[in-house]
Amino acid sequence: MRDPMERRLNLDGINAKIHLLKETAEELRLLADIFPAVLRNTDRILASVKMLEINVSDVLDLEKPGP
Amino acid sequence: MLSDQRYWNPVLETLPHGKIRDLQFSKFKRIFRWAYDHSKFHRSLYQKAGIAPDDVRSFQDIHLIPTVEKSMMRDIQRKDPFPYGDALCVPLEDVVEFRQTSGTTGQPVYQPDTWVDWEWWSECWSFILWAQGYRPADRVFIPFGYNIFVAFWAGHYAAEKIGCEVVPGGVLDTKARILKIQELRSTAMMATPTYVLGMADTAKNKMGIDPSTLTIRKITCAGEPGASIPSTKRRMEEAWNAKVYDHAGATEIGAWSFECQAQPGGLHVNEALFLVEIVDVETGAPIHEPGRQGKMVITALDRQAQPCIRFDSKDVIEWSPEPCPCGRTFRLIKGGVIGRADDITKVKGVLLSPSAIEEVVRGIEGLSDEYEVEVDRVGDVDDILLKVELMPGGQGDRHRIEAELKDQLRLKTNLGYRLEFYDYGTLPRYEVKAKRFKDRRKGH
Repeated sequence: MRDPMERRLNLDGINAKIHLLKETAEELRLLADIFPAVLRNTDRILASVKMLEINVSDVLDLEKPGP
Repeated sequence: MLSDQRYWNPVLETLPHGKIRDLQFSKFKRIFRWAYDHSKFHRSLYQKAGIAPDDVRSFQDIHLIPTVEKSMMRDIQRKDPFPYGDALCVPLEDVVEFRQTSGTTGQPVYQPDTWVDWEWWSECWSFILWAQGYRPADRVFIPFGYNIFVAFWAGHYAAEKIGCEVVPGGVLDTKARILKIQELRSTAMMATPTYVLGMADTAKNKMGIDPSTLTIRKITCAGEPGASIPSTKRRMEEAWNAKVYDHAGATEIGAWSFECQAQPGGLHVNEALFLVEIVDVETGAPIHEPGRQGKMVITALDRQAQPCIRFDSKDVIEWSPEPCPCGRTFRLIKGGVIGRADDITKVKGVLLSPSAIEEVVRGIEGLSDEYEVEVDRVGDVDDILLKVELMPGGQGDRHRIEAELKDQLRLKTNLGYRLEFYDYGTLPRYEVKAKRFKDRRKGH
């Protein structure tokens, strides 16, 4: 059961967008393998996405059923 | 409004303890597997102990994993992949930041960080600064010699991330820093306790500026335990008319704890990013209950380039029995870092912590902030010499000060001292970490 703060934050919605952001950045990275400016800036985006995962996804994904 | 929010992360900082443990266990397994798969040093250590990632099935299994000491890191470094050696878990070209430990306890340890690790550093510090009331409206002055030591680098980037305006006080000297704080009306500052007091002393006694009239209203300390020593904290807060907050971290660990605005007499462990275990100094047995001191074994749950897994930090801490009124569920360590297992030494058969001496000296009116302690052996007997400075014009008060000092030292440390009094300004001054405790006995 989520507490009121968690419900108000729409954590599932936030988490879904984080996953989408990561997927998009990883696809962008593949497209930019010989384009330094895009590749390195995408790496920085992915580092920030990792911080979003640490802040939100890691704890939310605990609740998901295992494989 | 965003600035009204009490927590940097309202989810993690208020998680029930059971859920924090689940998160820690899940992340521990992940970082343990990462190190096992990517670091020759860690894999070899764990294989020798007969433990592999699939063997970690419960929280208790974590205690079976060997600890890592700083001396082990020293031994593997300065080799390929140069200069980090076999604990490096990423290709060398992924390393974007170099830092090293200060070398206070021996040869420095090099610390590589990837860009993700560097983001993580500033994330750790964002928890700290938000909890201490830093907000986008703050103008933060950082009087720190930006260099190979990690010190306030991450504080700088975290303040930026939060949205503060950051003024890097890099190569300016102390007087120029004070003038810049005055000129820009900076509202917050980060420095070691030694330097916070040193700046106040310079402002007051060499520039005729009362630091309490400046606009600094919060100060974050690191690098030394002073901000958790009540008398030192009080001196800093009175000098600057500011709230002073402590934080403990280390180059090879990360920024793992912080004092919040409630100033509860301890530091919160950031239990979402770190797993802190307290173990008995002699036996290594886990200590779970509050009120018993032990040394800290710590894991940084997300650090990748050179993982920090069950690192024997030698920091002596104890869990606080009380929750914090701020509402965070991250547990408190009472009184911050009480000392280091290798600093807390037996003198005349009694355990002596240098911070206990600091608490006494800084609690006596008429003494300056500076002091030095020298322990030596005369024949078969330990001898402790304490050098203190009288404030200007304090000679007339010397007998009262000496009597009070002797009484308080006996009361707080259970030991007798030889006392030497010096004129104000004659003991050494330090800009970063002070080295005030010297043990000259053989084998120390």
